[in-house]
Amino acid sequence: MHRLTGLLALPYGLWLLAAFAAPMGAVALLSVQESSEIFAPLSLVPSGVQYAELIGDAFYRRVFFNTLALGAGVALASAVLGYPLALWLTRLSPRWKPIGFAIVLVPLLTNVVVRSLGIILLLAPRGIVSSFVVSLGLPRPDLLFGWFAVGLALTQVFLPFMVLALYDVLESQEKRLEEAAAGLGAGPATRFWRVTLPLSLPGLRGGLVIIFLLASESYVSAALVGGRKVWVNGMIVLKEGLEILNYPLASALAMLMLGAGVVVTFLLGRLIGLATPWLTARVPRLRLSLPPAASRTLVAVAEITAPIVSRVLLVLAILLLIFPLLLVAVASVNDSPQATVAQFLGFTWKHYTAVLQNERYLSDAWNSLQLALACVAVSLAIALPAAFALVRGGFAGKEALGALYMLPLALPGIAIGLGMLRLLQWFTALPPFLGILAVHVVLVAPFMLALLRASVAQLDRSLEEAANGLGARPPGVFRRVILPQLGPGIAVACVIGFLMSFGEVTVTAFLTTARLQTLPVRIYAEATFSLENTVNAISTIFILMTVTALLVINWLMPLDRVWRR
Amino acid sequence: MTTRRTFLAGTAGLALPAIWGKDAVAQIRRGDELTIGVWGGVQERIVRQYCAAPLEQQYGVKVNYVLGGTPERRARAYAERGRPSFDIIYLNIFESRQAVKDGVTQPASANVPHFANLYDMAKLGGYGVAFNPVTIVYDRRMVSAPMTSWRDFWRDDLKGKVIWPTYPGAQGTAALLMAAKVWGGSETNIDPGFQNIARLKPFAAIQGSQDQLYGMFDNQVGAASVEFGSFTRTYAESRNPNIVIADPTEGQAVAMNVACIATGTRNQALAEAWVNLHLSPECQLAYAQQTYYSPTIKNFTAPPDLAAKLILGEEAVKRLVDFDWDVVIGNQARWSSRFTREIAG
Repeated sequence: MHRLTGLLALPYGLWLLAAFAAPMGAVALLSVQESSEIFAPLSLVPSGVQYAELIGDAFYRRVFFNTLALGAGVALASAVLGYPLALWLTRLSPRWKPIGFAIVLVPLLTNVVVRSLGIILLLAPRGIVSSFVVSLGLPRPDLLFGWFAVGLALTQVFLPFMVLALYDVLESQEKRLEEAAAGLGAGPATRFWRVTLPLSLPGLRGGLVIIFLLASESYVSAALVGGRKVWVNGMIVLKEGLEILNYPLASALAMLMLGAGVVVTFLLGRLIGLATPWLTARVPRLRLSLPPAASRTLVAVAEITAPIVSRVLLVLAILLLIFPLLLVAVASVNDSPQATVAQFLGFTWKHYTAVLQNERYLSDAWNSLQLALACVAVSLAIALPAAFALVRGGFAGKEALGALYMLPLALPGIAIGLGMLRLLQWFTALPPFLGILAVHVVLVAPFMLALLRASVAQLDRSLEEAANGLGARPPGVFRRVILPQLGPGIAVACVIGFLMSFGEVTVTAFLTTARLQTLPVRIYAEATFSLENTVNAISTIFILMTVTALLVINWLMPLDRVWRR
Repeated sequence: MTTRRTFLAGTAGLALPAIWGKDAVAQIRRGDELTIGVWGGVQERIVRQYCAAPLEQQYGVKVNYVLGGTPERRARAYAERGRPSFDIIYLNIFESRQAVKDGVTQPASANVPHFANLYDMAKLGGYGVAFNPVTIVYDRRMVSAPMTSWRDFWRDDLKGKVIWPTYPGAQGTAALLMAAKVWGGSETNIDPGFQNIARLKPFAAIQGSQDQLYGMFDNQVGAASVEFGSFTRTYAESRNPNIVIADPTEGQAVAMNVACIATGTRNQALAEAWVNLHLSPECQLAYAQQTYYSPTIKNFTAPPDLAAKLILGEEAVKRLVDFDWDVVIGNQARWSSRFTREIAG
């Protein structure tokens, strides 16, 4: 039985082999080239020259570790802000739930350049935060153009992943456990620390892995709000790969990032595994305890501060998420040709007219929509079985396979793009839609797998056993017992997958041809000279459409488990 | 003689078949497809109107666009050297000259009738289609006197208020080379540039794009930077009248958009017809009006109020500072890593 469950991981693996192994192989091969000359023939004799250059250079070493620290910091910050948000989301009434989700998704629906303007407005020397700090009588802080600004920008855009990763595991949690703890005298802080947090660790794992990988590869935010005082790996891959055309060095750095990403993913998996011994029915090995007196004081302090701290964090998180919305909505009716404007110059609908009357926007949007829908369908079809295999399979090396399946997330998008360039001849032989779909699935499926894995881990096995006992056949059990429980998890994973595919630029920009153009690539192409204000009109339309879509999804497939109430 | 040639070529837009003669027309077949790699936004709108529409009408050909940024387009063109999927790609000045050297795109040739009207500088690396020089831009409220020289960045009233452009990139390259030049160096002696830029530290910020710079100007993060005059003029006119586009005594640094015909294209004649339309006075005027790009052809006239905002005429074009781009490109990796470590790091 356990062996067979492992086979469910196969379709996902085959897809990666077909669509990801080749570009990754190309990157790996490029990284061991001795010559950095762009037209030098590929040599099959591996050379460590590029790696030696990276490792031997103090600057690259510093950037590498700074980047990892940034990834870890952003993941941690997202967890701290994500818990209050996700808990708030689970408590929203069904009617308000779609709106709550929309708020969480706002950063994913707004253009990165516009979002970074938001960060600049917040942190500028005379901006919102420093004015507030000064009004408290403190010295004016220098927050903009540094690690703090980059961390904040990344936390803002990746927070949705954490919230959605946590949402499903928190939502499906057995409410009676918390009630029991409260009945036994545990305050809110203790209940969170001893019941809610441990039970949500599988979701936290998914969120941390996704955010760590994304944050350590990101470069756009670092370039925009880091003021070039901040250097991260992604910027170096971009610079060496695209500006200087030194593919071998860029590839070598990408491979080192891949290695670091896999190691961190694996370690996080092991750590969470140690902290959740009940999932595999193991004896707990990890036991931390304080002396009773210290522990009592700590609990008392925590119980007093927790309600305030959690509310403050919730408010901060919501403000951070919806601030770009405000900016985008206002800018979309601002009578200015540029998209990033800090003052209001007059009201106009012309940017909306420009978008809605332009058939090219509409046809590109139609391409992107078809692509994203197909991508979500395929990704779900391969990621859901893989999630079952990784949770229920009894095969050796499960954790390693889990880390392996996250590989596409760990290889920077630019490197995948450079790898694809080497394969362009074969790629262009494919029908354009199929080719880009194959790549999008590679980029999106790992996200969905990370989320679905947590949802599958939360399934109540006793319900399936009961159904089996009552004579239900496996397909029936799946349809009538498992699927309803997984509903919200699947919905959330699909929403994320859809948005990822719909908004993908980094890799797609290398692959679009005259035959298939996507909307984000068009926007990116327009932004290379000057970001026109139509981008804000598009974002506002997206946000409205997302709210509508969420209302429809919630109606078709409730985002919470009503039968639990 | 010159006048006559100018006249002939100038009317080419109106009387295309007569000028091209039998050869070119014979090679363009109904149903041919021309693939253009170009920037989006206003660029796409103008070439659709002034280059694509006439060709489609006249020859029944189809024009495809691959929109994107310069880096992806260039990476694609290099990966496809000799068997291009693009017929024409648009590049910036130094990328275009390198691409010709690397055999990725073709040098300019007189097969394009308007080639005869191009300024010499615009005949390198393909067909220069727009001058878009880089110059000093500053906020008049934050400086004690107008900036008239590249050396003004080192003035006392600008201490800590300079927003330096990142390197590489058109702005950062121009800034570095101009700094070297005004401090006694050159592209072959770059040290004075680096040493003196380092003296400007701490910077108010380092900017990586015009949108970023304008956001900084909106928020008064700094006083002065190095940027494209054209876009900055649009920005100043539409939302920040305090911003001045300076015309320094040492000249503005040249930057140029270049139409490059891919080596190995199967639509040579059609591609040349496209470029010719791009170089027509009508198309050049549309660029000047909509984006303040300056024309690369000599047979161009503009209304006086517009002309005042452009680089027009042999004299003005001669004042643009050009560099030995082979040297610049050859040193890019070294300078880039030096910039990262000494200036920005």
